[in-house]
Amino acid sequence: MNESLEIVGPEGVPLRFPAASLPERASAFFFDLFVIGCGIGALVLLLIGAAGFGVGFPLVLIGFFVLRHFYFALFELLWRGATPGKRLLRIRVISRDGLGLRPEAVFARNLVRDVELFVPLVVLSAPEQVMGPAPGWLRLLMGLWVLVMAFMPVLTREGTRVGDLVGGTRVVRVPAADLVADAADRSSTAPAAFTEAQLAHYGEKELETLADLLRRFEERRAELSDLYVVSTTIARKIGYAGDQPAQDPPRFLRSFYQHQRAALERQLLFGTRKASKLDGARRG
Amino acid sequence: MSDAGARGAAPRSVAFRREREALWFELDALVDKALRRGLGSLDAEALHRLPVLYRSTLASLSVARRTALDQALVRYLEALCARAYLAIYGSQRSVRGAVREALLVTFPRMVRALRVEVALSVAITTAGAVIAWMLMDVEPGWYDAFVDPGLASGRDPHATTEALREPLYGGGEGALATFASFLFVHNAGIGIMCFALGFAAGIPTALLLFTNGLMLGAFLQLYASRGLLFELVGWLLPHGIPEIGAVVLCGAAGLHVGRALIDPGRHTHADALLRAGRRASMVVVGCVVLFAIAGVVEGVFRQVVTDDGLRYALALFNGLWFFGWLLLGGRRRGAT
Repeated sequence: MNESLEIVGPEGVPLRFPAASLPERASAFFFDLFVIGCGIGALVLLLIGAAGFGVGFPLVLIGFFVLRHFYFALFELLWRGATPGKRLLRIRVISRDGLGLRPEAVFARNLVRDVELFVPLVVLSAPEQVMGPAPGWLRLLMGLWVLVMAFMPVLTREGTRVGDLVGGTRVVRVPAADLVADAADRSSTAPAAFTEAQLAHYGEKELETLADLLRRFEERRAELSDLYVVSTTIARKIGYAGDQPAQDPPRFLRSFYQHQRAALERQLLFGTRKASKLDGARRG
Repeated sequence: MSDAGARGAAPRSVAFRREREALWFELDALVDKALRRGLGSLDAEALHRLPVLYRSTLASLSVARRTALDQALVRYLEALCARAYLAIYGSQRSVRGAVREALLVTFPRMVRALRVEVALSVAITTAGAVIAWMLMDVEPGWYDAFVDPGLASGRDPHATTEALREPLYGGGEGALATFASFLFVHNAGIGIMCFALGFAAGIPTALLLFTNGLMLGAFLQLYASRGLLFELVGWLLPHGIPEIGAVVLCGAAGLHVGRALIDPGRHTHADALLRAGRRASMVVVGCVVLFAIAGVVEGVFRQVVTDDGLRYALALFNGLWFFGWLLLGGRRRGAT
């Protein structure tokens, strides 16, 4: 469901962002609408209350206009691609071309919001306001077209809305960066020794599965019995003699993980990548 | 080394991580702060460190992707670099500089880039005006078909010449500021609509421009038939230059987008739409400023100054800066 988006930054290194999901974007949008509503309410109370109707009303009109058309654009410019709603949901707008977010892109994606939201509403409720005295068939055609625009996020594969297509932007989630301890980074007091042949059975996929199991064991989300099953299975498969796999599964597995990863990484340096145990080592 | 044996067994990526971890954590802390409170919250030294740390972490990421088999490590670096990218490149240099550049350089340049659409937009409006004028010459009753009675507010063919002259010089009764801001909001809304409707292949945009032209022509003919053309133009031009100009430009922006949809040229549709949308939206943003200026002139100046000579002088002045801005703005600094 949630695919990632790859962009190439100015340094030439591809970066991967998790794309923001439709519900996330919708929630952010409704939160922003709520903020706009509150802003208008506050404007009306403050300005008319403080300055009286004569001076207050025109300011309210202008404030309303600015909020309706430029709320999103100004926040996205000032807050590096985030409006209050987006910030709350930890999503941001980025430019697809990998360069910085330009004002053109921000204005384009937000001016188009009008076609996607307000124009469909007007077309549905009072079509003559938009099209004037147009013949019925033209109205029907226009109405259909505008509705298609409005439902683009549901129609396109990536869930982009028209504004994102026009602005050349995407909404992404700000990834959380959390570095966990490395299961291979511990000095084992009695390191088990493995031969080259014993380390030739498994590939990267199994290695990652094992790392995951060890991590879960550290966090007490896996039982010792799980480790016992895995460690005896590995020992049988690689033909490991000795009682450590049965006696002390965690230590055996850590040691095996360390050696297996070292062996695979050594091969990787020579350009040989072994993706899984089914994979005959191939040049990569 | 005492633990040479253990080190020899350890994967290379362990040493790789040990050597660089400190740099990553330093970057992590800076990026965290920048994402929460903006780049401005970092001090000079941190700002100096940030790009250095970012590039070395990017290098770490490239190496880790190719050589490290610890997925947790690669995932961490992916996420850290993505966060750092957002903190560094998501950022606008300075808002005031961006606004100045957008209005003084990008806006006039984009208008000139859209000259074909601007010409078309002018042609459609003029066609509307000419047709309305000619039809009204034959039968003044057409007026009601062209001008919304709400907007006309009694200024129609049944009114006496005196009643038509009166609003031109009737000093502003009551709240000028309200009037000005209402005009601004109303007109700018129409302008943005003109652009937005470009996404329906530009057809509604053309219709809007045409009806706008019809209204203009009908007004002009009505006043001309009573010998008040000179007075009407003096009343209309000071705010009409920025306002009608902005409507025409917004229409051109809408037509530009519509054209990209119909005829993307050498690009794909998505690509053409992207280019057209970015150009057109900057035109619309500039037009919002034009509408604001027009609103002030229309709501305040027009009501207060009733001398024809002064009105024409202001019209001349407005015409000078308007065309100067669009034709000369942003020419100095090299071409885009």
